[in-house]
Amino acid sequence: MSPQRQQRTLPPETGRLVRLWLALLLLGGIEFGLSFLPLGHRARPLVILPAIPMIVAVAVGFMNVTKGPAIVRVFAVAALFWLLILLGLGSLDALTRIDYAVTGLH
Amino acid sequence: MASPSLTHEFQYASASHQAQTAIAGMWLFLATEVLLFGGLILAWIYSRHFNPVGFDAGGRQTALWIGTVNTVLLITSSFAYGLGAAFLRIGNVRGLIRCLALALLLAAAFLVLKFGLEYRDDFAKHLFPTDLPFGVSGAAANGARLFFIFYFIGTGLHGVHMLVGVGLVLWIIRRARRGHFSPSYTTPVEVVGLYWSFVDIVWLTLYPLIYLVGRN
Repeated sequence: MSPQRQQRTLPPETGRLVRLWLALLLLGGIEFGLSFLPLGHRARPLVILPAIPMIVAVAVGFMNVTKGPAIVRVFAVAALFWLLILLGLGSLDALTRIDYAVTGLH
Repeated sequence: MASPSLTHEFQYASASHQAQTAIAGMWLFLATEVLLFGGLILAWIYSRHFNPVGFDAGGRQTALWIGTVNTVLLITSSFAYGLGAAFLRIGNVRGLIRCLALALLLAAAFLVLKFGLEYRDDFAKHLFPTDLPFGVSGAAANGARLFFIFYFIGTGLHGVHMLVGVGLVLWIIRRARRGHFSPSYTTPVEVVGLYWSFVDIVWLTLYPLIYLVGRN
């Protein structure tokens, strides 16, 4: 291929990257729209849910986590595992605690 | 001088082995970063659970349009970087440089909006947690202070990561202009790309926690 032709040729991955970019913008738009739903204080964290497929899309589409050497997937799964341990055990007390009213004072 | 794609350090079996080790090394570093930001997310879960009203009041004080535009900027910046790496794989170094320059431009726009505009407005509205009087008053004030501690630490830490990323992308552009990369030697471009996309992932996590959850 001549250098001039090469300069004008788009990479074969262009279509996939454009579709990924559009999908991320769409999911971002859904997340943005969800934030205006009249949810209670406790239900509002559900607005975060569209961020999960967005993060997966970036990890798979831009970071190619599924295509690298196997050790890459080991590190990625280990990171997720320890993140779940951190968030799960760390928030267990807060999310399950029952606050009883103080009685018998005076 | 031999091509970098053919040479490798003595401890590796081959150039391919060295490249895979570099990529795995970046992933291992990113795994530690996940736990760094994980602590921050845990702080958000814990603090918001006990202060939902204050966190929602704090969230409503943030500039939604800046957060949303910045999300689009970072997603597009990751796309530009990915396209640049794809250009390199077909041997178009000029395409790589142009895409990386675009990624840098978008990152610069993000930093100007975040730190030049949004932070300035936050300080003007007395939303820094130690401000007296604080920008949110009443029963929600203490929770809102906690929210803005999370906000400034989270966005500040992310901003530092972005600055490091900008430096790395500038380094890649400099090396690309000197002809250091070819379709058979893309490792530094790929490794920096992993970091660049990870910074994007951090923002995709922070954006709903800061701007969206307490909005309505």
